[in-house]
Amino acid sequence: MAARWHSRALALALLLLALDVRAEGPPDERPWYVPDHAALQLAGSIGLLSAGPGWGFLDDALDAQLLLGWAPPAVAGEDFLTVTLKGQWHPFRLRWSGWSVRPLTVGLLLSYTFGDEYFVTLPDRYPDGYYWFKTGLRPALLLGGSVGRPVPALGLRNLEGYVELVATDYRLVHFLRNPVTVETGLFSLALGARLRF
Amino acid sequence: MRFWVPWLLLCAGCGALEFHPYELRGADRDRHAASLEQLRRDAHEGPLRFAVLGDIQLFLDDSASAMKDLERHDVDFVVQLGDLTEFGSAQEYDWVARLLDRLPVPSFAVIGNHDVLGNGADIYRRAFGPTFFSFRHAGSRFVLYDSNSREYGFPGNVPDLEALRDALEPELGIAHTFTFSHVPPGHGDFDASLVEPLEQLQAERGISISFHAHIHDFRDEVRRGVRYFVADSLDHRNYLLVTVQGGVVEVERVFY
Repeated sequence: MAARWHSRALALALLLLALDVRAEGPPDERPWYVPDHAALQLAGSIGLLSAGPGWGFLDDALDAQLLLGWAPPAVAGEDFLTVTLKGQWHPFRLRWSGWSVRPLTVGLLLSYTFGDEYFVTLPDRYPDGYYWFKTGLRPALLLGGSVGRPVPALGLRNLEGYVELVATDYRLVHFLRNPVTVETGLFSLALGARLRF
Repeated sequence: MRFWVPWLLLCAGCGALEFHPYELRGADRDRHAASLEQLRRDAHEGPLRFAVLGDIQLFLDDSASAMKDLERHDVDFVVQLGDLTEFGSAQEYDWVARLLDRLPVPSFAVIGNHDVLGNGADIYRRAFGPTFFSFRHAGSRFVLYDSNSREYGFPGNVPDLEALRDALEPELGIAHTFTFSHVPPGHGDFDASLVEPLEQLQAERGISISFHAHIHDFRDEVRRGVRYFVADSLDHRNYLLVTVQGGVVEVERVFY
């Protein structure tokens, strides 16, 4: 359980960092490591809710986020805590009367789940190579899109809502081997918001 | 902004939202209890016939074909021998449960080493019930147990021989006893110190057939007078069909 409290402290620190840096001057004067957005997400296989700081590059065509996710026992049957690194590429941007629409997002994520029941290196009881995957480390492919507009009243350059289809490793592997059975089960759904400041 | 609320509920309802790969969620509960009830309801005269299926893991489409093929045979129920899943994830458990639901007859499943991974054992217990499970049907006795010793670091009580000894007590009116576990005794993943005691116990209690899987390749051998079968994994596209008529037990490999 100790690991869980540590990670909760980390979560809080990340969120405070994300909120705190807003005061540190205009975007172009910030050092690269200061986050320029924060993300809040519902579901997507990394928690009921996940949140954390993000960094935009190349005029926000590329995004990276570090998210801490939590699913409480009430909805997931158990306490799940994850930390996720996410990268996204939005190749197109359409502008229309104050709105900016990014119809396509492709991305990758790597999620780590805290807890002794999940392994990143194979425990001693197994011979080498006994399992070819790691239950504590989950890669996934992302497909999505977003819509946003500036909200100066809140000090936001852009407030975006996004939808993501998340294809975790086990869904992808099963889909490739069993397209008939898996069908649309290839994806789980994530809904979220990005606050660019 | 309210317009998204029904969509959200709909998505949650159809399972598009997943909070964690190993979440304990969804309507699938105590399938073994429900299967047993169905078995009691559908009791009939005539020979007892059941099917035994090997590892499913990544072979969902092959398994779907097995479910279809099983419709050709008049089986009372189906037993799957573990490794329902590859990763032990909730989504895989759900895919397999939906496949088993295609069967018109009740189904039972042993827990396999892959099913234990992560939070998988909890998902199994929630969806199916206890990992040790026995029932009687048509004058025969069926015992399902966990033999994935390596998953727990060879603690010395997996498989649980005490529970097995109790479940295999001689009983009036029971002509045949069949046992089912994932890892076959003698395999490196089965607690080496328990192989001899298990085989001895099964011999003493006159087990008709001991069914296993795990190695993905068919085996049929007799040890201490007890017949041991290892079923092919389902990518080999075959399963075992067992017919019990009076004192005679017949096992047929059915290819599909």
